[in-house]
Amino acid sequence: MTQTVIAGRRFSAQAVAGVVVAIVAAVLVLYPVFFLLQAALDVGDPDVRPPTAYGFSNFGGLLQYPQIIFNTLGVSFVATALALVFGFALAWILTRTNVPGRRWLEPLMVVPFYLTPLLGALAWSMLGSQESGFINQFWRALGGTGYIIDANTAFGIAWVMAFFEGSVAFVMISAVMKSMDPSLEEASQVMGASRWRTMLRITLPLVIPGVLGAAIFVFAEMLGSFAAALVLGSPNRFYVVTTAIYQLTQQYPPKIPLAAAMGASLFIVMFLMLFVYRWIVTAGSYVTITGKAFRPRVNDVGRLRYVLLAFCLLYLFVAVVLPLATLIYASFQKLAVAFPAADNWTLNNYRTAMSMNAVRSALGNSLILGLATATIGVLLMTLLSWLIYRAKLPGSSIIEYVVMFPQAVPRLVFAFGIMWAWLVSPIPIYGTLWLLLIAYITVFLPLGIRTISGVMLQVDKSLEECAQMCGAPWGYRMRTVTVPLLWPGLIAAWLLLFIASIRELGASILLMGPHSKVITPSIVESWNATSSELTAAMALIQTAVVAVAVAILLALTRRVGGHTRME
Amino acid sequence: MTRFTDERLSRRSLLQAGTALAAVPLFGLGAPQVMAQTQPRKATKVLDFETYADVAKAEQEGALVFYCHENEAGTAAIMEGFHKDFPKIKTSYVRAQTGALYNKIVSERSAGRFDVDVLQLSDIAPALDFQKKEGYAVYVGPESDAYKADFKSNPQGSFFWTGTTFAGIAYNNKKVSEAEAPKTWKDVLNPKWKGSISCKISSSGVQYVAWYMLRQMYGPEYWKEYAKLTPKAFDSRVQLYDRLAKGDDKVCSLAEYAGYSLYKEKTQDITMVMPPDGLPATPCVLGAVSKAPHPEASKLFMDWAMSKRGQAWYQNHPNLIYGSVRSDAPPMKTGAKLSDFKLLFPTDYDDYAKMRDTFTKEWNGMLGL
Repeated sequence: MTQTVIAGRRFSAQAVAGVVVAIVAAVLVLYPVFFLLQAALDVGDPDVRPPTAYGFSNFGGLLQYPQIIFNTLGVSFVATALALVFGFALAWILTRTNVPGRRWLEPLMVVPFYLTPLLGALAWSMLGSQESGFINQFWRALGGTGYIIDANTAFGIAWVMAFFEGSVAFVMISAVMKSMDPSLEEASQVMGASRWRTMLRITLPLVIPGVLGAAIFVFAEMLGSFAAALVLGSPNRFYVVTTAIYQLTQQYPPKIPLAAAMGASLFIVMFLMLFVYRWIVTAGSYVTITGKAFRPRVNDVGRLRYVLLAFCLLYLFVAVVLPLATLIYASFQKLAVAFPAADNWTLNNYRTAMSMNAVRSALGNSLILGLATATIGVLLMTLLSWLIYRAKLPGSSIIEYVVMFPQAVPRLVFAFGIMWAWLVSPIPIYGTLWLLLIAYITVFLPLGIRTISGVMLQVDKSLEECAQMCGAPWGYRMRTVTVPLLWPGLIAAWLLLFIASIRELGASILLMGPHSKVITPSIVESWNATSSELTAAMALIQTAVVAVAVAILLALTRRVGGHTRME
Repeated sequence: MTRFTDERLSRRSLLQAGTALAAVPLFGLGAPQVMAQTQPRKATKVLDFETYADVAKAEQEGALVFYCHENEAGTAAIMEGFHKDFPKIKTSYVRAQTGALYNKIVSERSAGRFDVDVLQLSDIAPALDFQKKEGYAVYVGPESDAYKADFKSNPQGSFFWTGTTFAGIAYNNKKVSEAEAPKTWKDVLNPKWKGSISCKISSSGVQYVAWYMLRQMYGPEYWKEYAKLTPKAFDSRVQLYDRLAKGDDKVCSLAEYAGYSLYKEKTQDITMVMPPDGLPATPCVLGAVSKAPHPEASKLFMDWAMSKRGQAWYQNHPNLIYGSVRSDAPPMKTGAKLSDFKLLFPTDYDDYAKMRDTFTKEWNGMLGL
């Protein structure tokens, strides 16, 4: 009798949570997707909404752009492969080996992520342009001829993106590695397997959900990446889907339906990848967190640890130190060159940047949005992850596909759907920070869910079931069992969402209102129309403020995490 | 700092929203806001210009929302100039390229949202379209008489030319000697510039007018020859000058005067050439928007922008350097007046507007888009 009552309560709590979360996800995602698809199928008068005629001719128009689609896929594959190599290697080194200084190295690995691809692209365009690139200027000053590096190429874009997305891959994969029971690796080594064999045969397969999650996320990010392709590709007439869409939507008359069709066609690529992901993760068991207590084990790699340390430091140098140093060097010049004359030095770029309203108010807005998006987002995405991977409610796999929609379309295009959706909505949030908050939560659903679900898949369901057998209701189980086990993943997701919100560009460009400006579009705007030196100063101010915010938040979350564990 | 409380989502507003949603099928989208168009008979003198706006009422409205094609620094500069003269009117703005900005305002209005007071575009084609759609408020201020009919909408009152942008040719004088530098528009077609020449993308109003005027003067073959040079195209004049000054490009085939004077302060390595065949020029058009939320403030702004005072601000601010078409305009900061240049303006603006799509397709095709 008691069991029935408990079971009844359990069912209703799960069902209510499931239905509410599914509705929220559907409203957030499908409502704008409807408008996006409507635009992609719009073949009527482009000035009239809703469309006066429907058809598929916009999709047919895509066939005129085979080179752009080829460019996009090529750059995305190369950048994803590079990012995964960096991310996996760094995650393994810093979570599973005794590399010196890993306590301070680990937080530094996240730095490239919040530096923004725009900052990296700007720095590398200054470093690696054929003629004016600092590296090539040094080369010629040393007696060389021509150039030794050219950042304005497809590989240049992939190179810059790989460093930034590499840190995303690192965060996602290391969260999984930290949650892994080391007894499996120990067993492998006890059975005589070498360190490398253990890594390849035990560690790697166990982190497959995390690696695949990271791969899908990074690949999708690359499909939608804009700033690096704009800064590095356009000087060489190299276009990818996003830069092509940007041109199509900026021109007059704008080709919004064609841009929407271009964006919507990426659904196919993303759903294919999601299908493969689901097929792999559902084919095997990746549970490594069980009821047995464990402490993540660190392998003694002997003298190799210094080589691994050098690898980490080299990564940080190329991804962080070199771009930052370049921008700092450029930001104090009137016209950035490798060998500036005495009268070329100036502080004016910082004076101008600090006097610009765009920096002051936009940075404040970005910080508010970052905090709100991360906090609300983690709560919503944890529930969604649980619903998709834990609750056996009907339709949970459909929800997974639904929440991946925003990842499948460049944010620049998805923002059109959001704009149209909320323009016609009677809820008065158009042009306010509320709209940006909704947009950020929507477009970052895949990021949060990939991060959280990568860890959730590793948590043995028996732990929840054990609590259930003891009579704990669903809410109590989530609070006392599931969430504490997911804590490292939740912290990682929170930080990722916070940083991703602050550096968001594609959706913000379109959705910002006169009273809701945010910082990254202002920086892009500055690059577009002011000067690269002033842009460098603005980007460095943004970076400094975000660095301070992240440091404070990390300290706070660690303290909260410490208290939770003590309890 | 903008706060979430700008438009609070209270339970009441949600309930109102729900009621409005239910009413949509019955009453259509959004009740139109009414902008008073009646003008006082007598103009008021304020500072050193005249206006039909009720200044006290404009200050009571307390705000002005500006949509502008100009870059962030330029847009902020325009607002700064007005706000300095009328500190009780808080200014805010949205800036984007003309195409994107126009699409945004049309989308907003078609959804029944009227949040904008004044609109400035860098291309007359969308301005004519907006006029056809009755998007502009018709306001003929007392300062209108200082402008020839050519520089105002027809009929007047919808928009006027708040400034003019024009372009010649520029080269990097460290890479190209004066003797070999292009002197005319035909010199630009020399194959020696292949791979080292730059221009702007198709969203640019100045690039369009250059395409239109040189096509009229030298025929469509001119641009086919130009395409063989594989030019590199950029968003803004700043990028063009930045690359030219650093030697990434040798020649810029769309060197805007405003950008030249800005970059000349940074480096002496660039030289601008004024081809004797003329300088393609395009107006920046400014108009008050119908159903504006702050109608008196928008009228006041229009008069300020039209006035000698406003035009001086537009002409002399380093982030603007617009050439004024006002009959009694003083010289620009550089000492030059607009009449000192041989400017090439389209004569048939209807044809000009019709050719926009052809240009966009041709230009995008040339750039591999």
